[in-house]
This record gives sequence, structure tokens and C-alpha cells, in this order.
Amino acid sequence: MFHKILIANRAEIALRIIRAARELGIETVAVHSTADANSLHVKFADESLCIGPPPSKESYLNIPAILSAAEVSGADAIHPGYGFLSENAEFAEMVQHAGLGWIGPRPEMIRMMGNKVRAKEAMREAGLPQLPGSDGVVREERELVRLAEKVGFPVILKAAAGGGGRGMKIVREKDQLAQMYRTASAEALAAFGNGDMYVERYVERPRHIEIQIVADEHGDVVHFGERECSVQRRHQKMLEESPSPALNEKLRERMGRVAVEAMKKVRYNNVGTIEFLLDERGDFFFMEMNTRIQVEHPVTESVTGIDLLKEQIRLAAGEELGRTQKSIALRGHAIELRINAEDPVTFAPSPGLITAYHAPGGLGVRVDSIAHEQYRVLPFYDSMVAKMIVTADSRPAAIMRARRALQEYVVEGIKTNIPFHKRLLLFEPFVQGRYDTRTVERLLAEASPAAGG
Amino acid sequence: MDVEKLRAILAVLQGTDVTRLDWTNGQERLTLRMGHPPAPVTALHAVPAAASAALPTPPQVTPVAPAAAARDDSFTVNSPFVGTFYRSASPDNPPFVEVGQVVKKGQVLCIVEAMKLMNEIEAEQPGRLLEALIQNGSPVEYGEPLFRFEPA
Repeated sequence: MFHKILIANRAEIALRIIRAARELGIETVAVHSTADANSLHVKFADESLCIGPPPSKESYLNIPAILSAAEVSGADAIHPGYGFLSENAEFAEMVQHAGLGWIGPRPEMIRMMGNKVRAKEAMREAGLPQLPGSDGVVREERELVRLAEKVGFPVILKAAAGGGGRGMKIVREKDQLAQMYRTASAEALAAFGNGDMYVERYVERPRHIEIQIVADEHGDVVHFGERECSVQRRHQKMLEESPSPALNEKLRERMGRVAVEAMKKVRYNNVGTIEFLLDERGDFFFMEMNTRIQVEHPVTESVTGIDLLKEQIRLAAGEELGRTQKSIALRGHAIELRINAEDPVTFAPSPGLITAYHAPGGLGVRVDSIAHEQYRVLPFYDSMVAKMIVTADSRPAAIMRARRALQEYVVEGIKTNIPFHKRLLLFEPFVQGRYDTRTVERLLAEASPAAGG
Repeated sequence: MDVEKLRAILAVLQGTDVTRLDWTNGQERLTLRMGHPPAPVTALHAVPAAASAALPTPPQVTPVAPAAAARDDSFTVNSPFVGTFYRSASPDNPPFVEVGQVVKKGQVLCIVEAMKLMNEIEAEQPGRLLEALIQNGSPVEYGEPLFRFEPA
């Protein structure tokens, strides 16, 4: 087992790692920028080292400074947290070459999953279903018709040179296909100078479902069930829950089984998350894999009762998994809300000094945060201030608990998205569990909120 | 200059090493002097005071308060990165600079080793060494004061 872990991260995840390490009897070294000198993750670590000025590039992304800090502090392993250098394969390699333990998957895994095209190829080979569509550009109408019929309507035509929602056309009927293809291709040519088009199955109400993978260094792999992350705005997750209201036991078992089989095939190690798109019919498709601990890991911890950070550390140290799939059971229901320093209506960042702070408590309420009264939310880093995780026996009880806890949450001096969360927790599609990745859009399109409350 | 603008400027400066800012825009003039980082938080809701007190003191260097120094015009040379501090080129060599000695701009003061690289730290301005603040062979942080000089 490791003796001293250097944490190459900041804020709540750094504190989360300190908590896990301390319970394992491992010392911790915090690194920080000059702006974070008084941060709780620095205060609670056994040692700390300032590694650079506020901009991330010169501190939390400064590889030489971090490796140097590991050397002078005598750390024997590095935990990268999430974001920053956590999915940087070169950094992982440098850590290992320096003779230090890397608390994450092997660099080759990070590299493979970091490349979208390679990841899809590898996961197709490993047996994960993919969104049906043309593997490449379609140049002929006849070919397009054949592919669209194979994929099944509705389909979406995407401009090869487009992106961010531009140059896309949804085709619902076969007899519209040829006409819309010609229009879309001409538009793409005019807009991007390239008329090449792809075709893919169009999912009307996609849900973002991810499977938590836990694997040891010896080829043993289990999954810890799913997290539903469909509450998103512009691809940013806002709320996550486990279990997903969209999955039944059979579908959960199937998604988990193919995910575990694929991970065994590529000999994945440590923790990771496979993201799937789930359609209205219950078909699911591989989207991407995150080769790190995730922001929303606490919902899985809450329903499995297992500390994922401790698992991650002990597996990185070479210990055996020592768990069977049967021993992993999801109990109750957990919901995580990301509390961000942002305007609840415009979502503009709202950094600044927190003048009053009270975190909620009581049975089944967990808050992971480094916020406190007089804490300054800095403009240099992301706007997440806290994660509030509620756990209860059932989904309706968890929603009631989340509403109750938000009533107790006091953050003054900065704006937060708490009013948004209060609306969301009352929004009928969410309450009924019938929502998808476009639900937030629909909520925001409803009569503009009275910003208060 | 309205309050919002001032607040924005302060937000940008917060946490940086900037200690003084003179700003002119037409008729408007603004001079800001930034103090030392605010005192450690005393009013923590989540943390009982006893727990804070029991925490091991991190090996973090308390910035040397200029007020405590003998002369107000003294200045420090700070470490440009995290690493190991050496006062001489090798254990057998004498220190690059001794207390009382006057150094020229560009003269080597010490070495900070980072990732097996020996980085020579040079004087950015001339001065007389008042004090070496770090023990030979000790780890140093980014921005940590290494020497105190007085103008010479």
C-alpha cells in the first residue's frame, strides 16, 4: 500500500481524496496555486506545497512543478482527481517513469479512450453496441437510402464539416430522404465548403446512462450499477441519480454485463465510467469512456455503500478486487445536485466572496465541498461550489429530501443555481422520472422563472 | 469608476502576487495596495474550531512580514518554482553568497533543483545579503522567500 499520496488537484475532489487516504492510514500532500493557499484542501492535508500562480496552466496543469513537488515531499503515488491532468496519458506515463504509483488506469487505456474514433473502434471490437449509422461519409443517394433503411427511421443527416448542432437534418420518412439530403448537402457546401454527409440513427429522447466500472490489476472486473445523467444543459451535467428511473433489473443486468465483458477484453484496470446513450426503445449505444473518478461518483457510493475513492487507491496499489458481481447491490435511491456559483437564470459565472454559508444536514444528506463563510470562489477555476447528495429509500423520498435540504442551504454573497434546482425538483417530467437530455431546455423554455426562492 | 468596476478589478487581483496597482484613465486615477492574504478563516461552519487547532501545521512558509524586518527597503528573492534548495554548487563548494556579501545583478545566488535539473537562481538587482531564509537541502515552494537583501 502507498504511504504518502500527492493530490494533483484542488477543491472538493482534493478534500475527498484526503478523506479516503486518511481512512486508509495514508498521508497526503496537497499542492496548490497561490490563490488557493487558504483552501480547505490545503489545510486538511498532512503537508502542502505551493506550485505556482493562479492560472491552472502554471499550477494545476504544470507537470514539472507537480512531479517536483512529489519528489521533494517524498510521495510514492499521485492521485489526479478529475479534470486537470486526470486524463493526460503523457502525465500518467511520466508519473510511472518517475517510479511513482499512478492512481488511475494504465496510460494506454487513457490514450485509447481519449481518442473518440479509436475508442469507438476498440469498444465495437470489444462488443459494445454502437449507434447505427454510416461508418463514413455517404456520397450517393442510393447508398444513403440503403443505409437509412438499415439504420431505421428517424435518421439524422450530419455534415462532415459541421458541428455544434449546425448542418444537421432530421429525416422521419423514407420519401423525404432524397430531397432533404440534397438540401442538407447543398447547405453544408455553402456553409462549410464541404457537402459530405453522414447518416446516423436519430434518438428523439436520448438519456445519458453511465456504468461505473471497478477493475483490479489482475483482470477482475465488476460494475457498480448505473448513474442517470440526463439532466444537462449544453452537455454540462447538473444533477445525477442512481438507480436510473429508465432502467429495470433486466436492462441494468444487460448493460452491466456487456460493459464488464468489454472491460475484461481490453484488460481495463482501476475505476472508469462507460457512457451510453439510451433510446426510447431501451436500446443503448456506447458514447465514450471516462478513465478517471467522476464528479458524480457519490451517488454510486450512496446506493452501494462502497467508498469508490478507497477502492481506487487500494486497487492502484495492486490489491485484488475481492468482490463478486453478486455482492454489489443497489439499495435505496441517491440524487446529486451540483451547486454552482452562477446566475440561476442566465447561468453566467458568479465568482466572489461567500458572506454567509450554511450547508444542509440531517439523515441522508451529504455535502462535498470546500466552501465556507468567507470563502472566495475564484474566477480562475470552475464554478462548482458544492455537491449535495441525498439518499433515501425510494426515488420519491429522495426528491422530497432534496427539496427539504435545499430549503436549508444558505449561500450569500454570490449567486448560485439553487433556485434552478428548486424548480427542477418540482418539474413534472423530472418528478415522474420521464426525462431526457433535452428536458432542461424544455424547463428553461417554460415561463421565465421568478428568480427568487 | 463605479463600485462594480472596482469590484471586478479586486476580483481579478485577488490571490495574485500583485501588491500594488496604479491605474490612470483620463481624469480617473486609482491606487491599490494589496495586503497579505486574509488571515486564515476563523468562522468555519463545517469545521469545529478544535479540529482546526489540532491540525498539524503544514510545512508552509509564513511570508516574512516586511514590518518585522530591520529595514523597510529590504527585499526578498523568491523561489520561481517548487524544488530543493541548495546554497552551493556541490556539498564541497562554499555557498554562492554569504551574509554581508554584496551581489551584482545576474550573480548566481543558489540552486533550486526540480526534476533532476539544477536551476541557478540569479539576483535580479544588486544588494547586500541580510539573511538566508532556507536551510541548505530543504524543499521550497513556488514563491517562497529564499534570501533577504538590502539595497547596496
